[in-house]
Amino acid sequence: MSGISRRDVIKAQAVAAAAAAAGLPVPAAAQNLITHAHLTDLKWSKAACRFCGTGCSIMVATKAGRVVATHGDAEAEVNRGLNCVKGYFLSKIMYGKDRLTTPLLRKKNGKFDKDGDFEPVSWDEAFDIMAEKWKATLKAKGPKAVGMFGSGQWTVWEGYAASKLMKAGFRSNNIDPNARHCMASAVVGFIRAFGIDEPMGCYDDFENADAFVLWGSNMAEMHPILWTRIADRRLSHPHVKVAVLSTFEHRSFDLADIPGVFVPQTDLIIANYIANHIIQSGAVNEEFVSNHVNFRKGAQDIGYGLRPENPLEAAAANAGSGDSEPMSLEEFAEFVKPYTLDFAAEKSGVSKERLQQIAELYADPDTKVMSLWTMGVNQHTRGVWMNNLIYNIHLLTGKIAQPGNSPFSLTGQPSACGTAREVGTFAHRLPADLVVSNPEHRATAEKIWKLPAGTVPEWIGAHAVLQNRKLKDGEINCYWVQVNNNMQAAPNMMEEGLPGYRNPENFIVVSDAYPTVTAEAADLVLPTAMWVEKEGAYGNAERRTQFWHQLVDAPEGAMSDLWQLVEFSKRFTTDEVWPPELLADNPDYKGKTLYEVLFENGNVNAFPNSERAEDYENRESDEFGFYIQKGLFEEYAQFGRGHGHDLADFDTYHQVRGLRWPVVDGKETRWRYNGKYDPYVKEGAAFDFYGKPDGKAVAFALPFEPPAEIPDEEYPFWLSTGRVLEHWHSGSMTQRVPELYKAVPDALCYMHPDDAEALGLRRGAEVRIKSRRGEILTRVETRGRNKPPKGLIFVPWFDARQLINKVTLDATDPLSKQTDFKKCAVRVEAV
Amino acid sequence: MLAFLKRLWTTIRRPSVHYSLGFLTLGGFIMGIIFWGGFNTALELTNTEKFCTGCHEMRDNVFAELKTTIHYSNRSGVRATCPDCHVPHEWTDKIARKMQASKEVWGKIFGTINTREKFLEHRLELAQHEWARLKANNSLECRNCHSADSMDITRQSGRASEAHQRFLFTGEKTCIDCHKGIAHRLPDMSQSAWHGEKPEKMLKEATAFLATRQD
Amino acid sequence: MKRFAIGLACAALLVAAAAAAAQEHIATMRPATPLAENGTPAPMPKPVNSDIRQVRNYPEQPPLIPHTIEGYQIDKNSNKCLSCHSRTAIEVSQAPMVSITHFMNRDNQFLASVTPRRYFCNQCHVPQTDARPLVENDFVDVDEVLEYVKSKEGAK
Repeated sequence: MSGISRRDVIKAQAVAAAAAAAGLPVPAAAQNLITHAHLTDLKWSKAACRFCGTGCSIMVATKAGRVVATHGDAEAEVNRGLNCVKGYFLSKIMYGKDRLTTPLLRKKNGKFDKDGDFEPVSWDEAFDIMAEKWKATLKAKGPKAVGMFGSGQWTVWEGYAASKLMKAGFRSNNIDPNARHCMASAVVGFIRAFGIDEPMGCYDDFENADAFVLWGSNMAEMHPILWTRIADRRLSHPHVKVAVLSTFEHRSFDLADIPGVFVPQTDLIIANYIANHIIQSGAVNEEFVSNHVNFRKGAQDIGYGLRPENPLEAAAANAGSGDSEPMSLEEFAEFVKPYTLDFAAEKSGVSKERLQQIAELYADPDTKVMSLWTMGVNQHTRGVWMNNLIYNIHLLTGKIAQPGNSPFSLTGQPSACGTAREVGTFAHRLPADLVVSNPEHRATAEKIWKLPAGTVPEWIGAHAVLQNRKLKDGEINCYWVQVNNNMQAAPNMMEEGLPGYRNPENFIVVSDAYPTVTAEAADLVLPTAMWVEKEGAYGNAERRTQFWHQLVDAPEGAMSDLWQLVEFSKRFTTDEVWPPELLADNPDYKGKTLYEVLFENGNVNAFPNSERAEDYENRESDEFGFYIQKGLFEEYAQFGRGHGHDLADFDTYHQVRGLRWPVVDGKETRWRYNGKYDPYVKEGAAFDFYGKPDGKAVAFALPFEPPAEIPDEEYPFWLSTGRVLEHWHSGSMTQRVPELYKAVPDALCYMHPDDAEALGLRRGAEVRIKSRRGEILTRVETRGRNKPPKGLIFVPWFDARQLINKVTLDATDPLSKQTDFKKCAVRVEAV
Repeated sequence: MLAFLKRLWTTIRRPSVHYSLGFLTLGGFIMGIIFWGGFNTALELTNTEKFCTGCHEMRDNVFAELKTTIHYSNRSGVRATCPDCHVPHEWTDKIARKMQASKEVWGKIFGTINTREKFLEHRLELAQHEWARLKANNSLECRNCHSADSMDITRQSGRASEAHQRFLFTGEKTCIDCHKGIAHRLPDMSQSAWHGEKPEKMLKEATAFLATRQD
Repeated sequence: MKRFAIGLACAALLVAAAAAAAQEHIATMRPATPLAENGTPAPMPKPVNSDIRQVRNYPEQPPLIPHTIEGYQIDKNSNKCLSCHSRTAIEVSQAPMVSITHFMNRDNQFLASVTPRRYFCNQCHVPQTDARPLVENDFVDVDEVLEYVKSKEGAK
């Protein structure tokens, strides 16, 4: 390297700025071509985009230790050179002026105090206080009192290290990712229907489909590059039809041939109507159904995941039940019979003509249909049911696991698939779809991790919403938040989230690159490296795992999540945190640090630093003395190889633009369960849903059930929340890019102009949005990109100054425990 | 029946017996005013936004689309209602338009665009009527409010002032040439839609035509 | 190298001194309003309509839209942007033509007209408002980086 540090270049910028202020001319570079190639040559390296689950590949240019440019990777299948506006500004996301560079601890009089102000401390002191708190809590209350809230934006090995530290180190299953807020319903839907997580199709379906049906998703803003593939297909082939169903009109409607705005929650009715239509019009693919589909009737009246004392929960007949019993196709047909066209049109508000057109897309055997959904379906009190209902449609018609025929569950975060789901950083999971409640699965994990039998606990830990409740109730007392902004993201902030973090019994640690509202609510803040400041890997929605090298250094003082987790493990010995019985049975493990037992176990430290790429830095490997990312990855890959989750070897991923698992004999799998493409399918079979013991997928008979909270006299509006194109999630990165900030600086209350008029409001008026739980102040927008129907408002959640989750309800899908962020009842008042 | 008509005819032809010439003239004059006023009032009632949006076809389609545009809500609060753009101010043109409107009454009765889908199918045709009208009268309705002579281009944005100087003031273009879609959403603007042809057919015809041109 | 280290140390001290002041509210995107309270929302910002082109941070960045796009329809019926920015429209409009990259399909082959994959302009191009960012950004333009590199080399 040229020996120029980041700090030097910042100083250079200051010099240039001073020169400009002094009236000196624009640098010569602008007026004269630079002639030295070694100057103009940029080092271009590939990386995965930091933002959504589309998983575009980016080319990143670095010079003198800085990222100076990015562009869409022309060689990547996913995006072929395109990015969305957020992706085009990736160069700037690491350079917000307020990057955290030192741990901050709340102190009074030089000592930790919950009510103190934040003071900078050293990493040593930070780990000291953390170790002290963790040990005290584990001793007093045991592993159920510590918790971790991780992320679908963790790299694969960060999630894996965290999972090991929690489940095997502290022996606590209280680790859950923010992917619980985004994909949990999809996961449970997959497991129920297919026995294995993640889509069976891939992005190649876009170029093969004849029809696209968007169920409650706004791909134009939320999966923009995938939207370009739909636009490309639709606008080049006039026979292609796009249907968009949503609770309000948004940018995806700009391409819709068949638009439909439906009453919230009636998507359950529409999906059942379509199944009914398929059966009634004789469009059932009899051969496919008899060979590959079982039918089951699901338990009903399953509650809303609210606190047990809530009357809605008490009233539910089968609260939280995912039970089901077998049924025949004829019984299934009877079940969906009441969902007629008239009924669906009446309840949903979508016209009969439109509903019929959509149903016909599915029913026509010659139309290849791709169904796409994300948060509209997943963030839903019956999200699992909706996932299953969409699969029902594809299973009845056999339109599945083939090019163009694809029920495609889109992923929100860049690695909700690759990290959270595949690594299993959930309260109930282990890697590769294993679960903690299954003794064989636990034994597998203990074997791979080289740990004594009985190390991994069998109790299901607290999920996201439950973690917040337990923090409030003082049942979880030590809590570590990494790579998310949950104070801003979690529902019902005033009743659950905020009191939980500020509960004097609790010690909250937040690792982040920037000071977010979650950091402000915490007790200890750790400065964290981000994106290409560390070697990383993400897995996107189409099962594609993508790697990148460390391209630049993190700011002085900031360390990656991986380093923090592994370094922290050095502070504990097995004697301190494992039960004496376990150590008595396995005396070899006595007196060892968790670091030795988890990360120097012969697997994670198996690869020396000489195996690293020579032209890239790797801070973590420098710190620990071995190629830790490779070690973690190869140990993790043992779970999946040979079990339908095969990953290629580590080094391959650094060469290619990602590979879609299962990767068998170096070949990726594009369509799973299809004999032509998937090596795991039984010999000779056309289709084989091998996740299920009998190789058959499951269609579930599930009815309409109302949401937890419906508008009434006092709270007459539906509130839907979501994102906008320009900002990612809570805006902690994008709001620090001036161009993105200035494009959309503030959250707004999108509202129908007639509703505004009826309330005496005009555009820009300050209003209070109030629910039974909390309120925020915002401004009315009647002419924006989103055009809600009367009776519904939409507020995005990227704005730290307008925390809309003060207003939302912490009702979840009882099966997936995923919050319904799209439906609650509010009132809007002029201020 | 014939006898009745014959009696009526003789009564009308007969000079007035009881009433003076002045009374009849004045009475006729006053009745004329009343009738004319009534007629005009009724006519002007049909020239209100309230009347136009009385039909759900208008209210839920084009009027709903108007609500997010600058002609509905803007900085100065000076807004346009349906008749400002769609009903000529000139009396003779106005009456001509009103007579054409009988087609719309027909459409209402027989539901030619009474669903959103039917409206969308007809959108291009409906738009083309209006554009043709505005093109023919040199955007007269636009100019009823937006006078080119009173336009202060120093208060417009760069693009606007340049475009107006190059094309509006020179008479090269009329308002509707550039400002289609200013108040309601645009229909399918692709060539094939405009010519009502399928793209394949157009391509075939174009190829055949070009083949005959042997230069 | 020694001067380097001392320089860095001094800078570090400055940073530490600045941060030594204990802080209560650290969430910089939420100036001075406690989490439990709600501040008055910022007034709706005004769109920038100056037509002044902004310097791109790097050549590959899609240019920002220097004018307002309120009410501009971009859907399957019509694309308002192209009514001024398409290849054939620019003689009348004098607007910049869409970059030639917009004519290339997925396989980098040129098409007769704008590729449908780039049809929805506002997925990459955004207008600006007059809102002032809450946090500044320290991104350094590559030209300045090169200046610095050259100056360092000159000093050796």
